[in-house]
Amino acid sequence: MKLRAGVLAAAFAMVAPAAMAQQGTLRVGMAAQDMGRLDPHFAVSTIDRVPMPWVFNGLVRFPPGSIDAAAIEPDLAERWETSADGRTWTFHLRRGVRFHGNYGELTADDVVFSLRKAANAQTSAFSADLRAIETVEAVDPYTVRIVLKENVPNLLGILTNYAGGFIVSRRAVEERGDGFNRAPIGTGPFALERVTPNQSAEFVANPAYFRGAPQIARISYRFIPSDASRDLAFQNRELDLNYGRSDQTWVNRVRQQQGVTVDVFEPAELAIINVNVTQPPFNDIRVRQALAMAVNRAEMVRWRGQDTSREGQSLVPRGYLGFTADNGLLPHDLNRARALLAEAGYPNGLTVRVVHTQLPEMLAAMQVIQQQLRRAGITLDLQVVEHATFHQQIRQNLSPLVYYSAARFPIADIYLTQFYHSRSIVGTPTAVTNFSHCGMADAEIDAARVSTDRAEQLRLWAAAQRKLVENVCGIPLIETLLVFARRDNVDYGYQLRGSLSLGPQITEASRLR
Amino acid sequence: MIWFVAKRLLAAVPTLLAVLTVVFIIVRIVPGDPALVILGDQATAEAAAALRTRLGLDQPMWVQYWTFVSNALTGNFGASLVTGRPILEEVGAVLPHTIDLTLASMVLGVVVGVPVGIWAALHRNGAIDVAARLLSLLGLSFPVFVSGIYLLLLFGLYWRLFPVIGNADLSDFGDRLHKVVLPAVALGLTMAAYITRVTRSAMLHSLGEDYIRTARAKGVPWRRVVWVHGLRNASLPVVTVVGLYVGILIGNSVLTEIVFNRPGLGKIIVGALNQRDYAMLQGLMVIYCFLIVVVNLVTDLLYGVMDPRVKQA
Repeated sequence: MKLRAGVLAAAFAMVAPAAMAQQGTLRVGMAAQDMGRLDPHFAVSTIDRVPMPWVFNGLVRFPPGSIDAAAIEPDLAERWETSADGRTWTFHLRRGVRFHGNYGELTADDVVFSLRKAANAQTSAFSADLRAIETVEAVDPYTVRIVLKENVPNLLGILTNYAGGFIVSRRAVEERGDGFNRAPIGTGPFALERVTPNQSAEFVANPAYFRGAPQIARISYRFIPSDASRDLAFQNRELDLNYGRSDQTWVNRVRQQQGVTVDVFEPAELAIINVNVTQPPFNDIRVRQALAMAVNRAEMVRWRGQDTSREGQSLVPRGYLGFTADNGLLPHDLNRARALLAEAGYPNGLTVRVVHTQLPEMLAAMQVIQQQLRRAGITLDLQVVEHATFHQQIRQNLSPLVYYSAARFPIADIYLTQFYHSRSIVGTPTAVTNFSHCGMADAEIDAARVSTDRAEQLRLWAAAQRKLVENVCGIPLIETLLVFARRDNVDYGYQLRGSLSLGPQITEASRLR
Repeated sequence: MIWFVAKRLLAAVPTLLAVLTVVFIIVRIVPGDPALVILGDQATAEAAAALRTRLGLDQPMWVQYWTFVSNALTGNFGASLVTGRPILEEVGAVLPHTIDLTLASMVLGVVVGVPVGIWAALHRNGAIDVAARLLSLLGLSFPVFVSGIYLLLLFGLYWRLFPVIGNADLSDFGDRLHKVVLPAVALGLTMAAYITRVTRSAMLHSLGEDYIRTARAKGVPWRRVVWVHGLRNASLPVVTVVGLYVGILIGNSVLTEIVFNRPGLGKIIVGALNQRDYAMLQGLMVIYCFLIVVVNLVTDLLYGVMDPRVKQA
């Protein structure tokens, strides 16, 4: 590790004049005990995802502070073209982009290696996202050609600075093997200097960054699992950025501190109760409808907070490409819910055993739901288990209702495929997170994925949502936004409206005042 | 002495083997899938199965057990399933922090607990005794996540004497000392409360013995009676409790580490449990067990120093 730091230091010393303007250490407090994996293709938890765009680039990127798929812009690729049938894409790389340390210039070989690695289930957690890629090849050192098995709604989305789209140094991966997880090499504005287990990860500015040397010299990314201690450290000015809690009380309290701004941004996590339509009593649509009408979303928003949450309106989060609120979502109506239950043969209500996690935020939300359903005569017998156990048991169909909260790449296809396509039903070899066992919208989801006509695509996604909502495969609850507190000395250099890495991007333009 | 130490170390071998076996079984009985933790919730079942194969988790239980035990006996605890880093390296990085905290808390516990216990015993049922008993009860009842936050609020936020983030630079002794004070106070005061009660009780018992009465009848000064005759005989149960408590300190420091943002073994073990990092859990349990064996051994040796009859036996 010391040797690597030395090599980095030596490499950066060569471009010292560019580094002259850098100053200060940005101190970031995160709610985690330690980092997991820093290989971007295995970075699945929030603590691992946040620093990924600091270290790595994609062929294309979302502009900093945005998750608008329509605004995707060049990153490592300076331009690209597509064939008439939309299946062949040719990307032309920027010249002179250098990897951290002595790992040389980025070439098409690194891009081909990275995308093949990201598409391989043995070497990536995001292989399913790149399933549509048939071949990736280097045409010349600065040109990459991607051929698709079929048209996909947004290939550029897959190739952004997110998940499987990050480009790594082939030589570093091959040299370091498993060690790449803790010593990653990318082309981003910051390079990892070291990880001290249970304490922090330290990043240093990459003065050779192709968009210009970062203005911040270092980032100290600190792991502080206790919310109370992290808040105290932030209040004590030992942190500049603090991972926040998505609740109104926290936001109000932090906003009262002087010189502090609370940023609330996308993507929102949509919480849904997924209903297993194959298990009694929920194989009766009247019971599912009663369940849907017993839920009071407005009350949930009042409970969670107006600034950090909003009502779920569909089985796809708001703002995702393909989202529609015109889907037949049942309104809150307790009398109708009781009547439906009586019609279904449960005039005295019913009791359902539900497996749920002990994670405080999720447990509290489920307890609110529990109270709401009780008013309609539905009693949830919550079996509270440890979080990893919860994840295992819900994948074994041990719970007919599954509360699940998630944010995905902002295109309806990803959400619909992972949660409501029959290929993703839990318990099957291709399972992802379809807990409802619904497959009635497969045709629309599949057709939309390969459609080259955007209007048709939107129509198909809307039709899929209507089918799934009307069949009560899931009940949307609330969408919870991300929250970070920032001292006013931190200037991101852009307006933070969204970040797919789940934390603020620190770019070459970010600075400490 | 050497034979005594060797005998105790040999006796620890079956204990370690039993711990290895129990730990191996327990971590696999607990539901939860490390592959899901590593790959996240967007991974397909196929990808999770592929990772389980790569990690050797699809092997028959006995094969996994044999691999684990044979590697452990050669000092190879493998690598963390989550981070991929060698377990000994991960533990080595945080062990000094745990040792700092344990030693500082123990010293504080003994330095405060023993004199207060003696003082309370010498003033049995008096105001001092009642105050000591009440305070020790308070110390035992106050959980560290409450006392820790209060300490941080007072000494960190208001008086700014100590930092809230307590991860010290191991190469800087001053920094280590500065950052161990508050957590050691939080943890050490609970220990002090416990030791106060034990010392008081042992001293009361000792001071009621015939040899104390004889010493006083012979005109031995009271100070000498207390410190030499009374305390020496009362010290065996105190040493026992300190030895036991050090074991508890090593294991129970997790809350202190979390509240004060200190790295340490406790924090690693909680993380490994949450992430179903079997390899890390197994390695940590063996290391914990080894530390407890060492602490017990030192306690036994201290018995011999304090009471020659133990050595002879």
